[in-house]
Amino acid sequence: MTQFLVNGESVESEAAPETALLWVLREHLGLTGTKFGCGAGMCGACTVHVDGQPSFSCLTQLADVAGREVTTIEGLSENGDHPLQRAWVAEQVPQCGYCQSGQIMQAAALLATTPNAEEAEIREAMSGNLCRCGTYNRIVRAVQRAAREV
Amino acid sequence: MSRSLSETAQMPKLSRRGFLGGAAALSFAVGASGLVSVARAAAPTGSNDLEPNIWVRIAADDSITIVFPSTEMGQGSSTALPVILAEELDADWDRVLVEQLDRDDRAFGNPLFGGVLYTAGSTGVAGYFDPLRKAGAQARRVLLQIAAEHWSVPIDSLTTEPSVVVHGASGRRLSYGEIAALPTSSLTVPEVSDADLKPRSVYRLIGQSVPRHDVPAKSSGTETYAIDVRVPGMAYATVLRSPVEGEQPLEINDGETLAVAGVLQTVTLPDGVAVVAETLEAALAGRDRLQVTWSEDSPARAFDSEADLAAYAEIAGDLNQNGAAWRSEGDAAAAIGAAERVIEADYLSDYAYHAQMEPMAAVAAVEADGKGAEVWVGTQTQSWTMRTITEVLETDPERIRLHMMTMGGSFGRRTALTQEYLRDALLTSKAVGRPVKAVWTREDDVKYGWFRPIAAQKLRAGLTADGKLTGWHHRVATPSVIAYFNPLRWQQVDPSDIISMRGAESRFYGIPDFLAEHLITEPRARLAPWRAIGASYTSFAAEAFMDELAEAAGRDPVEFRIELLQDNPRGRGLLERVTEMSGWGGSPPEGRALGLSFAGYGSSMAAGVVEISLDRDSGWITVHRLWAAVDGGLIVSPDNAQAQVEGGIVYGLGSALKERVTIRNGEVEQNNFYDYEILRANEIPEIQVQFQVSDGPPTGMGEVGTPMTAGAIANAFHTLTGKRLRHMPFTPERVMAALAS
Repeated sequence: MTQFLVNGESVESEAAPETALLWVLREHLGLTGTKFGCGAGMCGACTVHVDGQPSFSCLTQLADVAGREVTTIEGLSENGDHPLQRAWVAEQVPQCGYCQSGQIMQAAALLATTPNAEEAEIREAMSGNLCRCGTYNRIVRAVQRAAREV
Repeated sequence: MSRSLSETAQMPKLSRRGFLGGAAALSFAVGASGLVSVARAAAPTGSNDLEPNIWVRIAADDSITIVFPSTEMGQGSSTALPVILAEELDADWDRVLVEQLDRDDRAFGNPLFGGVLYTAGSTGVAGYFDPLRKAGAQARRVLLQIAAEHWSVPIDSLTTEPSVVVHGASGRRLSYGEIAALPTSSLTVPEVSDADLKPRSVYRLIGQSVPRHDVPAKSSGTETYAIDVRVPGMAYATVLRSPVEGEQPLEINDGETLAVAGVLQTVTLPDGVAVVAETLEAALAGRDRLQVTWSEDSPARAFDSEADLAAYAEIAGDLNQNGAAWRSEGDAAAAIGAAERVIEADYLSDYAYHAQMEPMAAVAAVEADGKGAEVWVGTQTQSWTMRTITEVLETDPERIRLHMMTMGGSFGRRTALTQEYLRDALLTSKAVGRPVKAVWTREDDVKYGWFRPIAAQKLRAGLTADGKLTGWHHRVATPSVIAYFNPLRWQQVDPSDIISMRGAESRFYGIPDFLAEHLITEPRARLAPWRAIGASYTSFAAEAFMDELAEAAGRDPVEFRIELLQDNPRGRGLLERVTEMSGWGGSPPEGRALGLSFAGYGSSMAAGVVEISLDRDSGWITVHRLWAAVDGGLIVSPDNAQAQVEGGIVYGLGSALKERVTIRNGEVEQNNFYDYEILRANEIPEIQVQFQVSDGPPTGMGEVGTPMTAGAIANAFHTLTGKRLRHMPFTPERVMAALAS
């Protein structure tokens, strides 16, 4: 039994300790906003925050988060109105949308530490997150827009 | 009298029945913690709804439900298509609901695919533009009729404002919902003609960048893809597939697999072995422990991408072999034979993988008798998905409840006549008697991908003494993609393969003596359409060759092309626009060079200029800026069109610079995003797109950005280095080899 916090709620999981956090979130807890893209830490679609740090949930084992706080896209804001989420809508960023939870979680971690990130910093910080639809330039614009609001 | 809106559309008499039979809706309840539960709910009965035709339903509460006949993979047509109908209906967009068509009902078929429900080839807006406008106009006429009867006034005295009918003389108003609730008698569905459609000058929605309805859910993690679906009692399946196409499992040792806690059983499939388990992690762990002996007699064991491409190149270069004419005008051979000079060049391109971000996944709940099923899957075609289901279960469509899910990208991947990822969910669910979610890993998705084919192309053209083009001969040696991914379709179109050959028609240019031919080679991999289909490589070759010709003629590449655009003023306008945008003819920054290309997709045209630099030590090309001028006719949603063109450009840049699948001994050598790299945020140029809006019909935006990218880079590289890049992608190794040549 592994106890940890998800989006502020205490949860207990009976999954094996080596189970990928991604599967626990998505398939055991039903938090499907976090996506499976590669299972290898190469695409960032599974990005969540563990104690505020951006983490690939596909490479994080359940045991790694025992007693810690996990935040997923579902817990980023009350009503989908985090400044980044508002900026994502204003800039009409998503196309297929599949990578965008991970993009937003990565961007949120960036803005938390570097609220005044320059464009080049944003591009570097976001370059672990793949988007096959090619929304990258809109992502950068949306992060800049959110940064102005924060 | 009632009549059909299109050849296939059956127009029902005016009805107040609620919902088309058999429909059901998925509802997703999001709890306070964000936990998502999925449930099936019966469709709303809505007995007072007014249903003027099959496309639209108007409820007493003023909500307007519009059927979306395509499927959504990111292209935005689940907004753009309803906008078209809402425009002619004069609907209040804020009250519009979009209903995914979840059946193979050919009354809603894509007119550009012979009525098949098929979302591909940038045809959504182009194909449905007329049917949806007429359906909207017809529904509006019905509302006017009812209001006229209710007020006993002539119908001509009425006008509409968004979702309101107005009688100007008396100032009376009725909302569309109020009209839907009125009793009526003896109404007929009116005919509508082009004359009943709005002039573009009064459009309120088309051309106004109505925000996409799917963006909020996709920005909050609440959009639900097939891979996200969870239903009560669901098990999970992963499949160990034969590493080489065409092999079968001969001997299966699943002892260790069955020992994994949570594994239920293994299921033998035609080309693999499925592991079904209570959890996804158990299914994956069980698959890791599965031991299968495969047959070893498949001819695919000889597939070798390098040798196979070399063999295709021999065929392309052997002028004694004739291909299937893709486009033939005048007498190319005679014109080239009589030319002052003949220029030739050979171009190669590798296999490319779709790399859609959502790996293949499907959920199936097959009933106890094995004939009925509820299915959740994202594909580009209700028709071939339903066909896959009914063939696999040997059943009738009436027994199937299908949910067409939003796709996490597709780019052509989910188009085939037979959909093996869906087949596996069906067969495993049937075997274990429970709902099953079949999930591919990224490695599965790469190893068992269906790719853009390799192609070898030979281009030949003549130049006159004064440096004018005379005669064009474009030979493309590549397999028929259609013959592979949709044999039924191939029976209808053989030997004309638009998937393999698009772009080689070069029809934006006026070249009187022209031949493009398809040397149809043996397929040596699984093949599928890939964004921009043939144009991603044929336009690379044609546009790189155009620059080679201009150089041989000693002429500026813009001027050389404009001479061929005398009968295409729209195309000429694009070239002029993009040269202005990019400062063509000026001096780029030190160490950088510009390259131009002019291509397109179908009737949509794009002129592009790139600015590149080169690290001569590593061979890496950096694209710094890209300017594009695009003509896709009428634009329904300019902001989404920008996004689509930009996305198409990024897709093309990746294909030009990096993307490459190789096959050795019949096995795909790549595994995941670490050895099949797509472009990342820090590799994307500044991109400027401008539209030249013409008065033509909409001709598609989803792929027009892709074809011109590779040629522009190759041309810029020549300006920078004096060397030609003729093998796509332009990997550092190939760049270094070109520099050393």
